[in-house]
This record gives sequence, C-alpha cells and structure tokens, in this order.
Amino acid sequence: MNSFLTAFFAGTSQGAIYALVSLGLVLVWRGAGVVNFAQMGQAMFTTYIASQLIQNEYSYWSAFVIALISGALLGALVDLGIMRPLSSRKNSLLLNSQSMRTTIPVIASLGILGVLKALAGIFWAGEERGFPAPVPTTGLRLGNTDLAITGFDLFVIGVVFLTLVLTTIFFTRTGMGLAMRASALNPEVTRLSGIRVGSVRTLSWAISGTASSLAGLLVTPKTNLSPNTLDLLLIVGFTAAVVGGLTSLAGSVLGGFILGYVIAFVNVYSAPENVFLAILIFLLLALFLRPQGILGSKEVRRV
Amino acid sequence: MSKVKSHKVIGFRSTRLAIIFFLFILLLSMQFGPYNQFQLANISTLLIAVLSITLLTGASGQISLGQGAIMAVGGYSAALLVTRLEISMWLAFVLAIFISALFGLFLGLAAARLSGPYLAGTTLVMALAIPSIAIRFDSFFSGDIGFSVDYGYPPDWLTNLLGEISIEEWSLYVALPFAALSLFAVLNLSNTRSGRTWRAVRDNEVAASLAGINIARTKVIVFVCSSALAGLAGAIYGFRGLVAPSVYPTDLSLLLLTAAVIGGLRSIGGAIFGTFVIVFLPDVIEKITKFLELPETISIYLPALMIGLLLLITVILNPRGSAGALEHIRHRHKH
Repeated sequence: MNSFLTAFFAGTSQGAIYALVSLGLVLVWRGAGVVNFAQMGQAMFTTYIASQLIQNEYSYWSAFVIALISGALLGALVDLGIMRPLSSRKNSLLLNSQSMRTTIPVIASLGILGVLKALAGIFWAGEERGFPAPVPTTGLRLGNTDLAITGFDLFVIGVVFLTLVLTTIFFTRTGMGLAMRASALNPEVTRLSGIRVGSVRTLSWAISGTASSLAGLLVTPKTNLSPNTLDLLLIVGFTAAVVGGLTSLAGSVLGGFILGYVIAFVNVYSAPENVFLAILIFLLLALFLRPQGILGSKEVRRV
Repeated sequence: MSKVKSHKVIGFRSTRLAIIFFLFILLLSMQFGPYNQFQLANISTLLIAVLSITLLTGASGQISLGQGAIMAVGGYSAALLVTRLEISMWLAFVLAIFISALFGLFLGLAAARLSGPYLAGTTLVMALAIPSIAIRFDSFFSGDIGFSVDYGYPPDWLTNLLGEISIEEWSLYVALPFAALSLFAVLNLSNTRSGRTWRAVRDNEVAASLAGINIARTKVIVFVCSSALAGLAGAIYGFRGLVAPSVYPTDLSLLLLTAAVIGGLRSIGGAIFGTFVIVFLPDVIEKITKFLELPETISIYLPALMIGLLLLITVILNPRGSAGALEHIRHRHKH
C-alpha cells in the first residue's frame, strides 16, 4: 500500500512536469509544424541562467521570473533566427520533396540543441550542480504518519495546475488564443482574415519556450543541473505528446500524466534501469494501437 | 537533368570511384604518423555509418536519429560471436551485417508506418533504449563493462609483403576495404532502378504509388540496406578495443547525422567530406586552442559548438550541404 502511494504521488508530480514538456512540444507542432528537439536544450539554458542569478545572490523568485522571460525570448529567437528563414526557403531544391520539408526543421533543431549544450558547457563549465527549491523537499508528516509526498511535490503540482488553467483561459477566452487556434487549423484562411500568421507562429514558440523553461526549473531540484540532464525529459515529453495525440493540447497534458504514472510505477515495482525500455515499448504500443493519439484527430496524420 | 544510364556504365563508374577512394586514403596514410593513421581508420569506419544515413535520409527521405543504436546491434553481435563462439573476426563481421539487416527489417516494418517527426522521435528513443538493454541483461551482454575485442594481428602473408605493420596501420587495413566496398554498394544502389524508386517515394509518395511503387515495401527495403551498413560500421567501430554501451552513445547518432548533412544528404562525395570534417575538425580546433592558450572549459566544448554551428549554417544557407553549394557554384559559372 505504502509503495503504491509513493509511486502514485511521484507519478503525479513528475507527470505534471512531463505534461508541461509535452504541452510545449505540441504548441510548436500545431503552431509551426515542427517537433522541436531543442526544446529541453532551451530549458537547460534558461535554468542555468536562473542558477547563475541565484549564485549572484538574487532571490529565488526574481531568478524564476527572469528564467521564464528568457525562455520566451529564446523560443522567439529560435523561430525568428532559424525556423522562419528555413520555411521561407521552401522552393529550394531539397525542400521540394515532401519528406524533406518535415526532416530539415528536425535537423535544424538538433543543431540548436548541440550549440546550446556546448555554450552551456563553455559558460558554466558543464559539471553537475544542484538547483534550489523554493519549498522544503523533505517528506510531509500528518500527525505521526509520514506521507509519501513532499512539500515540493505539492508546489510542482500547484504551479503546473495554475499554468494549465491560465493556458486554457488564454486559448478559449482571448482573441490571440483564438488566432493561434485558427492558424494551427488553417494558416491560409487565417492569413486572409487579416491575422499575422508569422507573429502568431513566433508567439507559439515563445509560449512553448516559457512552458519548457518552467519544466526545467521544476525538475532540476531533484535531478541536478548539467548540460545533459534534461535530455530524458525531452524523450518522455515526446512520448507523452505522441500518446496524447500530437495535435491536441488536452491530449498532451493527459499523455504527460500517463507517462508520469508509467515511469513511477516501473521505478517502484521494477528497477530504474528498465525505464528506457518501458518508454520505448510504451511509445511503440501507442504508435501501433492508436497512432493518432488518445485525443488526436484522425485525418491530420497522413499514412 | 540526370539521364538514365545503363547498368554497365554505372557499375564501371562506381568501381572506379571506390578504387580511387581506396587508393587516396592509402596514399594519405603513408604521409601520416600513427595518430593520423588511426584517424583515417576512424574515417573509413564512420564513413560506412554516414553512408547508411545518406542512403536512408538522402535517398528515401526517412530520418533516423538512432543509427548509433543499430551500430550497437552490429557491434554486440560481432563481439558476442567472437567471444562466445570463438569464430574469426571476419566471419563475425559478415554475420553482424546479416543480424543488423534483420534488425533493420523489424525496425523498418515499424517505421514504414511513421513519417517525419514521428520517425525521428521514435528512433531517438530507440537510441537511448537499446544500449540500456545491455545493462538490463548484464549477465549476457556484460553490462557497463562490455567486451574487450580487437582486430588481432595482421596475417603473416601481409607482414611478409609490407614489412612491419603497426596497430594503427592494421586498423586502417581492416576498415578501409569495407569502406570501399560499402561505397561501391551504395553508389550502385542509388544509381540503379531501386535508387530511382526510393527517390520517387522520397519526393512524392502519392505520385510514386500511382506509378505502381509499393511505398511500404520500398521503405522497409531501404531500412534493411541502411541497417546492414550501420551494423557493419558498428562492428568495426567496436573492435577498435571495446564494445560497451558507452561506445555507442546518442551523441554518436547525432554526430553521424551531422556529417551526412554538412556534406550534403544527397551526395556520396558529400558523405566522404562530412566524415573527414567530423573526425579532423576536433583535432584542428584543439591545435588552435592550444596555440591561443584558451582555458580548458572552452577547448573541451569548442568542437561540439563548431559542429553544431556548422550544422545550423548548412541547413540555413543551403540544406543540400557542401555538395549542393558546389553544384550551385558550378551552375553559375556555366551561365
């Protein structure tokens, strides 16, 4: 019973972080048609910025806010500096072929990932360092019994919940959110109705950058920070996004929590070295059984 | 415009190119000291892996971020065969080709349903998961420690012919013939009917299927051929000394993709050029950082930074790589 609760709570708080990563991936996929493999590289970079600020005796919260803002700026920069020039060259010979149009942005995002990792190594020496949490990471106690959940876990769940509520409000209640949904659905018609599709694209990169930056800030108190620590998070986030359906925002959040529970239960009831295999098997099962994802729409994916 | 050439002409041309490559590397190795001879052996080995990407991504448009994992399959197959069954290294290499081709068949059957980013992500997950199998079943795959394997000693007839052969020279003599053969095979494949079929699928799946091409089958065949090459490269790569999970990291897969892209995904000459860049660029940068006396943190990460930047610049300026840029310049001169 106790180990079940441990797995359940660990799964919920980890799943909340995976949901953020997966949400970031889906935002850019819907908004710009790119799966951004550099996403957690961007998050790693902004978490290093926060860590540097805290070392220079800024408060945790000011570092937190600056990291989120730099996440948005970095996301926008990636779009304006690299992805937009790429998509405007669609008539170049290589991009004439169907499969290359989706492949080239993937390769570009891997280049960005490599550059960000190397830069982090140069600026911050690349060795693993700790990252502080704003609330204690020790287990909570209720009377005399130890609960299998820490104050920090509750903090993570709370912050992610708040983010998801704000995102939902943004997409359903604001004009900009509506414009983003419209341009994801049909950029041509959206452009004709007077919306700047380019700015909307950049905005989705920025929001995705913020979400993944937040994920980086929330995960590193447990995993420590190094140029490579967030790689696993990208893999898990991608799997979560595919499980939920790459095109559905709600699906991506659902996928994140499912992955959180899968990994937590494998960790508790099996062994941690089985996690990678479990992810691969889970991903392959998802692709074979329901390639459009749990909440994805069927016609979007060409077979 | 590319003309359809007869098989005979193509066979002749690819034989010639493979022989030129073979002689070029051999002549280069005679000018070099042991360290650079070893680097040339690395180039020959990695070229086979880069060719497997040129074949997969350049010719058929499928992307794999997990070629390193397929290399691991080849490496482990050969190492297991040599250490458990005590067969000769050469036979183990040939069997490793078949085992990885079989692996490629399963992979291809799964991958034929996927495209673009789905395939990229799945192969990336695979690149992480496959080496962890070696740790999970460590009684069979001997875990983190892996297998110590090497190229052994050169046969007597070769030492009689060439005199004393150093370890570095011997590793080059093992890898180079395989590289030349792979080059020959890939040149032949991409210039014949099957190559044209693959390119048709790459450029427009609907048009290709209307022309009577079985899309799924074509994709699976490409995966099998590509995996066979990657597995061979992995076997030769591992026999430099160690077959272990740390020899085939995810970064290796990405480095190989970088080589293929920098050179030009659609060009075999580009694959050779890209392989030279990824092997020799770190050495050149190391010399420069030593000369400028830069701090250690910079000199460690500078090669990775330069390779990442090269990849980005290539993709932004000319996605067809240096081979494409060269062609572009040649075209301009003509007109």
